[in-house]
This record gives sequence, C-alpha cells and structure tokens, in this order.
Amino acid sequence: MTQGLVNDQIVTDDVIKALVSTNNLQEQEKKQIFSLIEKQILSVTNTETISDWNTFFESLLNGETIVLIDGFDQAIATSTVGGEKRPVSEPQTEVTIRGPRDSFTETLITNTALIRRRIKNPHLWMEKHPVGKVNKTDVGIMYIKGIANDKIVDEVKKRLNRIDIDAIIDSGQIEQLIEDETYSFFPTIYHTERPDVVAANLLEGRIAIFIDGSPFVLTVPALFIEFFQAADDYYMRYDVSLAIRLLRIMIFVISLTAPAVYIAITTFHQEMIPTLMIIAIASQREAVPFPAFFEAFLMEITFEILREAGVRLPRSIGQAVSIVGALVVGQAAVDAGIVSPAMVIVVALTAIASFATPAFSMAISARIIRFLLMFLAAFMGMYGVFIGLMFMVLHLCSIRSFGIPYMSPLGPIIFRNIGDSIIRMPIWAHGTRPKLISQKNIERLGADQKPSPPDSNENPTG
Amino acid sequence: MRMENAKISQVQFFILLVLFEVGTSLVIPFGMEAGKDVWLAIFLGAVFGCILFIMYYQLYLLYPDDVLTSFVRKILGNWIGIPVSFMYIVVAFYISARVLRDFGELLRAFSYRETPICVINTLLMLLVIYGVNKGIETISRTAELNFMLVILLAVFGLILIFLTDQLTLDRIRPVLENGWSPVFRAVFTETLYVPYGEVLVFTFLFPYLNNNKRAKMLGITGLLISGIALSGSMLINLLALGFHIVEDSPFPFFSTVQKISVADFLDRLDIIFLIVLFIGIYFKLSLYFYAGIIGLADLFKLKSHKEVTFPLGIIIIYCSLTIASSYSEFIMKGKGVSIKFFVFPAEVIVPIILLVVAYIKRKKRGKNNGAGRENQQNQKKSSPDQST
Repeated sequence: MTQGLVNDQIVTDDVIKALVSTNNLQEQEKKQIFSLIEKQILSVTNTETISDWNTFFESLLNGETIVLIDGFDQAIATSTVGGEKRPVSEPQTEVTIRGPRDSFTETLITNTALIRRRIKNPHLWMEKHPVGKVNKTDVGIMYIKGIANDKIVDEVKKRLNRIDIDAIIDSGQIEQLIEDETYSFFPTIYHTERPDVVAANLLEGRIAIFIDGSPFVLTVPALFIEFFQAADDYYMRYDVSLAIRLLRIMIFVISLTAPAVYIAITTFHQEMIPTLMIIAIASQREAVPFPAFFEAFLMEITFEILREAGVRLPRSIGQAVSIVGALVVGQAAVDAGIVSPAMVIVVALTAIASFATPAFSMAISARIIRFLLMFLAAFMGMYGVFIGLMFMVLHLCSIRSFGIPYMSPLGPIIFRNIGDSIIRMPIWAHGTRPKLISQKNIERLGADQKPSPPDSNENPTG
Repeated sequence: MRMENAKISQVQFFILLVLFEVGTSLVIPFGMEAGKDVWLAIFLGAVFGCILFIMYYQLYLLYPDDVLTSFVRKILGNWIGIPVSFMYIVVAFYISARVLRDFGELLRAFSYRETPICVINTLLMLLVIYGVNKGIETISRTAELNFMLVILLAVFGLILIFLTDQLTLDRIRPVLENGWSPVFRAVFTETLYVPYGEVLVFTFLFPYLNNNKRAKMLGITGLLISGIALSGSMLINLLALGFHIVEDSPFPFFSTVQKISVADFLDRLDIIFLIVLFIGIYFKLSLYFYAGIIGLADLFKLKSHKEVTFPLGIIIIYCSLTIASSYSEFIMKGKGVSIKFFVFPAEVIVPIILLVVAYIKRKKRGKNNGAGRENQQNQKKSSPDQST
C-alpha cells in the first residue's frame, strides 16, 4: 500500500533483516522485548512509540514502517520515509546571471535544509503547522528569532491557524488564504523558488512559509518595491545594479501605461506630438478603419492570447506559436491595414516590458491594470490616465502587508531604507535592516565598511 | 476629538503642507494688484502667512487632541461654538467646490473644450472621495510619493525653461515702480489669505502628528518654501511673458509652459503642466474636503467620517457646477465675496478671538489646576516616534 513512499533499502536492511537475525533471546529479555526492539535491534535513525490508531495511520501513510509486536498495546514507528524526489535543480522562473544556481524542490525537508545550509545559526527557528482536514499538509514557518518582528510572527501563526480547509496542494492556496487584500491587483505576499532570496529575506527580518509539496516558498511581509528587486541586483556591482533598478521602474511604468498613453495622445492630444512625427503617424493611421482604442485593444488581446497559448503548449509546438504570432499577427495585420505599424511597436514594447519585470505576480497585475488604463485613456485622454494612476497609487498606499505599509520605504518615506528601493546604494551603505519589518535588531553592518585602497606608501607593489 | 485612529509623521505633514499651498495657486494668478511686483507680494504673503500659522499652532498646543471644530466649542462654549464650527465646515465645503470648479475650468482650457465640466469634476471628486474614505494616512503616503514626482518635474521644467532662452529681465523692471504700497495692498487683501492663510485647514491635521517637536519649524519652512516656489513661478511667468500677458491670461503658468521649445523636439510640454496641476489640485481638494468631513463628523458625533463622504462629495460636485455661471463670474466671486466674507473672518478674526479667549480661560483655570493641561502636553511630546 505504501510502496513508493518508503525507502526499500532501509526497510529490508535495517528493519526486516535486523528483526529476522535476532533469534536467541533470553527468557528475561522476552518480557522487555518491546523496548529491546525499539532501542537496540532496529537500526534506523528515528523510532517512535505510538499507541493510537490515528497516529498509526498517519505514520503509515507518511511512509514510515510500523512494527507491531504480539502481546503489546503499542507499536513502533520507524522512519523509513523515502520514495522518488525531484533533485535540487536550477531555478526555472527566476534565472540570474550571477549567484547560486539551486532552487527549491517539492520536499519540505530539502527546502529547509537549503536554507539551514545558508544560515547556520541556532536562532533560525522553524515551526510546523499542519494544515488541512482530509490531508494534513506540513506548513513550516521559518524566521530568525531576534531579527524577525514577534508581532508579525504571531500574526502569521494566527492567520495559518485560522485556515480550515480540506487540503492544501500548493503554496498559492495558502497565499490566498492568508493575504491582506483579496480585492487588489497587487500581491501582498512574495513567493520565490530561490533559496538565496529566502535566506536574504530572513536576514532582513521577514518570515518564510514553506509548504510541503510546493517548490515556491512564501515570504512575508512583502513590500511593493520587493517585486522589483532581482537576486542578482545584490550580487552585481553597485553602479550596474543601480542603473538596472531604475530601468526596471521605467519598464513597469511602460508596461502599465504605454498603450494608454498612445491612445490618449493620438485621440486627444495630437498637439503634443512633434509635427514630423504626427504626420508620420497620421499617414500610417489613414488606412486603418478603427479608432486607436479598438486598434490597441485588438492587438493587446491578440498578444495575450499568444502568450497564454505559449505558456500551456508543449515545448515542441511552442515555436510554431511564435512563428504564427510574429508573421500573422505582426506582419499580416499591418499589411492588411487592420492596425498601424506604430501600434505594433507600442504593443511589442509593452509586451517586452511586461516580460522584463522580475516578479511574475507583479507583471501579471500590470497586465490587467493596463487594460483599465486603456479604457480610461479612450474615454478621457491623459486626464483619464492620471485618474487611473492616481487611483492605483492611492490603493497601493492604503494597503498593508502583515501590518507593514505596502509602499514603504517610499510612502511613508524612511530615509534610512530608501537606499534599497527605486535606487540601490552600494552594499556598504545598507547599514540597517528595513526599519518597519525588523524593529529590534536593525543594525546589519559595522561602521566604516567602505572599502578603499591602501595609502600609496603601503602599496604592496611599491 | 480625533475622528480617525491615524498617525502622520512630520515629514508627511511638511509635504502635505507644501503640496496644499502650491496646489491651485501655481496655476491661478493672484495678487495682480501689485502690478509687476506681484512676485514680491506673493513672497511677502508667505512671510506674513507664517504669523497666521504660528497663531493656529498655538491653538493646537492649547488643545493638542482636538480638531478645529471641537476646540472652538471648548473655547466659546456650545451656544456660540456650534454655529462657528458649522460656519467653518461650510467654508471648507465652499472652498472645496471652488477648487473643484477651478480644476474643471482649467482642464477645459487645457484640452477638453468639448467635454462637459460635470464629467471632469465628477471623475476628480470620485478620486477624492476614495482617498478621503481611505483616511489621512493613505492621503499623506500618496502625497509623499507624488511629492518626489513633483520635485523631479519642477527641476526638469526649470532646466527646460532656461534652455529655451525666453526670459528677459527687463520685463520686471523697474522693481517697485510705485513703491511698496501696492505690494502691501495686494498682500493684505489677497495673497496673505489665499493661499497662505488657508493653512488653517491643518488645524484638522495637527492632532494626528505622531511627534510635534519640529512641527512648528517645519510648518514655517513649508510655508516659506511654497512662497519661494509660487513667487519663483510667477517671476518666471513675468520674465517669459511680461506683465500684461500674465494679467490677461487666465492661466499664465500654462502659457509659460507652452513657450518651452528645446531642439524642436521638446516642445508643447503641456503634459508636465497637467501632472503638476493635477497633483496639486488633488491634494488641495482632498485636504479641504477632508477637513470639512472631519469637522462635520466631529460636530454631529458620527461614528465614522466615512458615513458622509459619498453624499457630501456629490453635493460638492453639484456646488462646483452651480457656484457661478461663467468663469469670469467665478473669479470675481473668488476675489471679492469669498475673501471678504468667508476667508478673512475665518482665517484671521475668529482665530484671534479664539486665542484671546483661550488664554483668558487658561489663566483663570490655571489658578485652580494648572498642572493638568501641562501634563497632557508633555505626554504628547514624548510619545515615541511611531511608524505610519
């Protein structure tokens, strides 16, 4: 029944062989056979005495081997958990140029081990909260005692204990059950498959939530800006990552507003385009039978269809989709006079921009808001776009993630932490942990960490 | 009594103050009586505005947990206090409606000639209602984010206008052609009260300060900075356009921005103008509306201010449409009636009376139990710097 869940080797070598080879026992020993078997004969790493049926079945289904002895009302569960596991492999969704190349797997213990390997500190605490009625899924809360904010830890536990559901299959379900805002386009919980990111987050005072069976680990509280911080921002040198960080903010703005601004300008504010350019655009649009909004909407929808098709398709057919997309939608739509080339450029730019946002959960919310902004642009021009963006900013400023304002350190401004937000200062300037997240122990660097060359007369080469 | 359980930091207070002051005044010309020296009148208005601010701040120090409408009642007693508070609420809503109308007219002039003003106003007001419903913390965080954008755009705009090479110093010469008297007349009939005296609205925000160690200093700095910004922008208008065009143009700042042209590529940057205008007006309107709503909720002892935001928002939209039948009438009313009968008494006369009465009352009570009030203040000052 539990084939595939147990490690056959351990069962045969350490349980069955050990039991079979023990035959000549003394009379006295027979009375204490239970503890004898548990303590001496079985040579597995971990044994446990169980005395009720619930634990019995639970252990059995977890892949443990249970030894029942005639004449005793207890049984011995031996940890022989095994079976097929996916090995630790390279991250699939968060690729970096520099930095560690391992990623989480579906096994909880492997995942926690990946973190423990990075933070070898006794203050790294892990608590297990089984969740679910039909199936008890192990959910682990990991944090660094003394750095993490106790109030947030309690809040996480409270929210996890509240969950009353039949079963949890993936961390995404936990996320939806404990997040702050269901009716929001923005994720208030961060998820990642990179152990280095989780380790860094733990060191900043965040709390990681591991779910057995899911290679994605949740970290809370999540800030808006966190979704724009890729792992190799911190591994690359400061000037480069500063430039890239700024580029990412720009990318996000483009992926939100590019089609909306195009619609607004071509339908409402033609006077803002330089004369030569407006002539070019007007001559392109002359043959197009649709208003700019419909044109943009058509192209955006087509692109979204292509993207969705690309996600679900087997890899071997994936190429066909891109050919169809590039040729049919791009070239043919322009040749047929359905859309103007300028529109194709705008849509393509938007598409690339939305791929370039490091966190998928943020990119996907930009996709939805983009359509709303397009409606507003078609309705009221730039004013509509501003109204939409202002609604968005107000909403962003109003939400909190586990008690922490979502837009900090930008709103409220926290000057000490602004060095790791839309800009990234050199590592030696990140003197403190995010102030609101970790409140007690916020110093992370010693004084005077800025490296500098030695004085010229001390120079080793003279 | 504070209506909301909220906290704002001193930085947020400062930013709200600057955005609030710059708000409409950046685009709508004021103090034109001073002739070419209007920029001086605008700056002096800020300097004298600081005195008004200190007066309001003293009132807050006497009643650190109360918004305007509730300390008015404590000082003057219910019989006089309730009508006076009610008057303040009406003024707040009246000016909200005026700001909204200003914005609608501006957008129509800007590029929405065919759009009914009602649509423009409704959209903005919905946004304001949303913000006010979310509370002052949300508004002030949003202000912080927007402030950075405004600063960036201001620097960008300044660089461009200098690059455009349209500025001629002769246009403001001779300085003080008619002496100081027209300047001071403009200060004391106009620029002092609108926009600087409007800082009275912040009596509704003082109780939310999580720390008031430097609030007074920051408030004065904020007023002076907005004075410099407003007077600077007026100076640039004058240098770029000359006084006569500035005087005749309904929105001189708009005309100045349109003059920007760099390398035949960066021209018609109306969009910068629109963004700054939008942000400024949004916060001005939000704070006025918020003050009115909080005052109302406080006076009528509502459970939460959210109960009335939506209906009153609709009323504001309606008022903004019916307040005047044309833009000229609207401006006339703003310069004459509104300042004389609403703004001047509300910003100067009543607060002076309040302050005098409060001091007399305090002296009287000081003989009986002087320690109580002092303790309360000290507690407030030493409260830890909490996050907002």
